[in-house]
Amino acid sequence: MGGEKAKNSSLREPFLNELSPVDSVAGLEELRVRYLGKKGLLTSELKSLGGLPPDERRAAGAVLNETKEFIEQALAQRKQELKDLELRRKLASESIDVTLPGSYVQPGRIHPLTQTLEEITDVFVSMGFSVEEGPEVELDYYNFEALNIPKEHPAREMQDTFYVSNDIVLRTHTSPVQIRVMQRKSPPLKFIAPGKVYRCDADISHTPMFHQIEGLMVGEDITFSHLKAVLESFLHRIFSPDVPVRFRPSYFPFTEPSAEVDIGCIFCKGTGCRTCKGSGWIEILGAGMVNPHVFEMVGYDPKKYSGFAFGMGIERIAMLKYSIDDIRLFYENDIRFLGQF
Amino acid sequence: MRVSFAWLSEFIKTGLSVEKIAHMLTMSGLEVEALEAALNDVILEVNVTPNRADCLSVLGVVRELSVLTGEPVILPSSVIKSKEENEKDLLPEIKVEIRNAELCRRYSGRVIRNVKIGPSPEWMAKRLEDYGIRSINNIVDITNYVLVELGHPLHAFDLKTLKGGRIVVDTADNIYRKIKTLDGVERKLPENALVIADAEDPIALAGIMGGASTEVEESTTDIFLEAAWFEPVNIRKTAKALGLSSESSYRFERGADIEIIPFALDRASYLMQEYAGGVPHKAVDVFPGKKIPRAIEVNAQRVSKLLGTDIQKDEIIKILERLGFAPKWNDSLITVFPPSYRLDVEAEQDIVEEVARIYGYDKIPTILPVSRLSAREAPLRSNFIKDARQNIRRSGYNEAINFSFMNPQAFELLSLNDDDIRRSAVALINPLNQEESLLRTTLLPALIENQKHNLQRGLRNIRLAETARIFIKRNTGELPIEHLMLAGISMMNRTYSFWRNGTEDFYCAKGAVEALLDEFRIRDRSFGPCGEPFLHPGKSADVMVSGQRCGFVGVLSPTVREKAEIKGKEDITVFELNLDVIFAALPGIPVYRSIPRFPAVERDIALIVDESVNAAQVIRKIKEYPSELIENAVVFDLYKGEGIPAGKKSMAFNVRYRATGKTLTEEEVEQIHEGLIKDLLVHTGGSLR
Ligand SMILES: [Zn+2]
Repeated sequence: MGGEKAKNSSLREPFLNELSPVDSVAGLEELRVRYLGKKGLLTSELKSLGGLPPDERRAAGAVLNETKEFIEQALAQRKQELKDLELRRKLASESIDVTLPGSYVQPGRIHPLTQTLEEITDVFVSMGFSVEEGPEVELDYYNFEALNIPKEHPAREMQDTFYVSNDIVLRTHTSPVQIRVMQRKSPPLKFIAPGKVYRCDADISHTPMFHQIEGLMVGEDITFSHLKAVLESFLHRIFSPDVPVRFRPSYFPFTEPSAEVDIGCIFCKGTGCRTCKGSGWIEILGAGMVNPHVFEMVGYDPKKYSGFAFGMGIERIAMLKYSIDDIRLFYENDIRFLGQF
Repeated sequence: MRVSFAWLSEFIKTGLSVEKIAHMLTMSGLEVEALEAALNDVILEVNVTPNRADCLSVLGVVRELSVLTGEPVILPSSVIKSKEENEKDLLPEIKVEIRNAELCRRYSGRVIRNVKIGPSPEWMAKRLEDYGIRSINNIVDITNYVLVELGHPLHAFDLKTLKGGRIVVDTADNIYRKIKTLDGVERKLPENALVIADAEDPIALAGIMGGASTEVEESTTDIFLEAAWFEPVNIRKTAKALGLSSESSYRFERGADIEIIPFALDRASYLMQEYAGGVPHKAVDVFPGKKIPRAIEVNAQRVSKLLGTDIQKDEIIKILERLGFAPKWNDSLITVFPPSYRLDVEAEQDIVEEVARIYGYDKIPTILPVSRLSAREAPLRSNFIKDARQNIRRSGYNEAINFSFMNPQAFELLSLNDDDIRRSAVALINPLNQEESLLRTTLLPALIENQKHNLQRGLRNIRLAETARIFIKRNTGELPIEHLMLAGISMMNRTYSFWRNGTEDFYCAKGAVEALLDEFRIRDRSFGPCGEPFLHPGKSADVMVSGQRCGFVGVLSPTVREKAEIKGKEDITVFELNLDVIFAALPGIPVYRSIPRFPAVERDIALIVDESVNAAQVIRKIKEYPSELIENAVVFDLYKGEGIPAGKKSMAFNVRYRATGKTLTEEEVEQIHEGLIKDLLVHTGGSLR
């Protein structure tokens, strides 16, 4: 009995020895045929069982079947291993340099002035202001006269004007949009008007074209303290919630009282530097209560309505926001500049 | 305006530091832009707004400080010794005749004899120089000194050159045609210019500049000193017409104080007596334009309501008193009489401003307005513009912003035809230079310039797009038409990348345009033949949207490149689209169509056709084929070369068939497809590949 068992077990040993160097699915199949094929080693032993007495045959058969199962399992397991290995090899051979750049259309950038303009617009839109437009080539009437700046008014000197004809100018500010909208719509009103404006002025800190945003709010009980609050919350949104804001008296023909609005210098935090000319403050926008003369010009009753208007230069805010030190960079359109924003 | 702190301190004793004073002035409307150290002094750079002519002097700033601190103004000396002694002997000698009392409401003056012309005292010259006026001689300097000190311009004539002992104030007419001014320039007098004349000739441009013939010189011994008031608009017009501006005209055109004239005259006379040894004679004072002080009413409640603060009537009155507005009141109605130097205070809102600025803007509370909710108009157009910019950005274009100006040479650069609408450019009367003398009618020239700028700096792969308005001239007197355009330029280097994308540059640019139109769901569009003279005739297309021409896309012609001196072998592609046309063509809210329930069957066709046949023509033919089962057709391949005869090309199309109510059988599709192929071969004159 013991001898029979040893004989059967001895098939496992050579099988395992033959299995270990096999490194392909094909080799594995060869091995299977060698042991389990019609003329395989194990098959022939099974066939030879017929010559044994029934008792021994049963015992030896059980051992052989066990061995057969063992071989089948070992082959299957090995086959899976080899398949995995082959896949890994195949994938490894397909490796690419993942550090090479990807294929895509590199997006361009939006001009920093546009980004600043849109950011400001969004703040006011979120406060319920709508957005209006007006012509860039404008009648003298809308640009000056309806804004309480008659011909020969010294305030015209504040704005060097490009003339197309005696009565037609390139708008020197976005304020004429105020008049055009008020002529078209009745109060209450709350809108901003972003756009390009022109002054015949070109030096290190001025360009003949630049951008402004104008704002107007008109209603029955609009006060100077509303003006202060709206502009203060705007400046806190654009710069930072803790930036100091101050209002000081100024002069614009179309508003009264008028104010110049400063923020605490964001570079030196108020101690004084080159940007703020040592004052610790940076002028950021002009504002005021709408002058009753302007309401009269558009047929609003100044006894009934009050309102505030404001205007700001976008270049200045963009320069502060991005620490740009030369206004002319905005208009050179050098891609090394444009690509940074 | 530059104000000496030492000078200012002679007229008011505040005990405050110059920094504190600068801050007080700034916060009440006289912005001190800078403090500048000077010898034993500090100069305040004060920004005086155009409405505050009364502050254009040391006295003006002092008055303002007096309002803010409550300290009194100490006026400088003006005691004339000769006044009582010899009044009878020292007759005026000069007869003044004002012929236009509207333009000259007051004219004063006096003769001062025995002056010794020489240098001014050092302190006076220094103060003038610190202000920014060159020292000339004691007499001229004293007139300037008083101008800076009191804000009133004076003028000294050499008495011996004054003919006929007369001063005539009149507008220029046929008699007065020309004057040679102090600066030695012979000037033709503009119409209505106010002049000062003697018995014969004009001797000064009133309020602007004196004449050369009566100039005070070394040899001068007697003078006639003028202190007058001239109407602002007239002075402004004349100064503008002559392109001449002076410290004097600057003050008169903003409005001088008519009441300070006697004091200014005495003050200057006093200084001439002290520092030039002069003997002032009795003054002449012709004052036809005297006006009673104007009363302005203001409601105290309205002040606090407009400011949004609960400032009390008592406090308002206190502020008005300090301002010298002499308030009287009856209940909440206050009546004020502003002083003669406050010409800017005319109406209730001016009083509100005065109260607010002295009260302090910082004391007014900040209260967000409570606004009734309303569904305001959606910012459709500004969102559209924003989306357009974003879309073109995603196609690789950096946003450029150029000035709206155009060089007249741009027409030649682009070889525009004589009748091209883009030649109807608006011209500026006063351009900065010839290159910027027109307003743009196309955004292309600026983008070409930008491309050049970048190339010259050794940069490659430049894509720029700009969204801006163009301006097309209309009839004289009418505003031009403004259109919002979106234009792009692209020049890409093909060897830059590891990949060599074989796509023609034209299709990249066209792709950007198509992506933009897709963004806005604009289906009604086509690309047709284009006649733009600046584009490659075989690589350019007009862009049509809803049957309207919206713009063009194409490769810049070699001629333009040569003119623009742009080197390099890569194609430069450009496009320019009218966003107003696209905005008008925006589709409304999409109407849902049910998703097809039955499968489609696809078939390919490869045709060999003449090179002149284009893909759009074939696709149109497929879509026109009378079968409802053809759902769509696209071109997917184009081939020229080996296997294809010369002058021919092969194009492959994919046709999709679908029935709405059932699954198509192979036989059904085959039948239609064969019919379609026959039809295509007939219409294109092609053959199957
Ligand atoms: Zn600073």
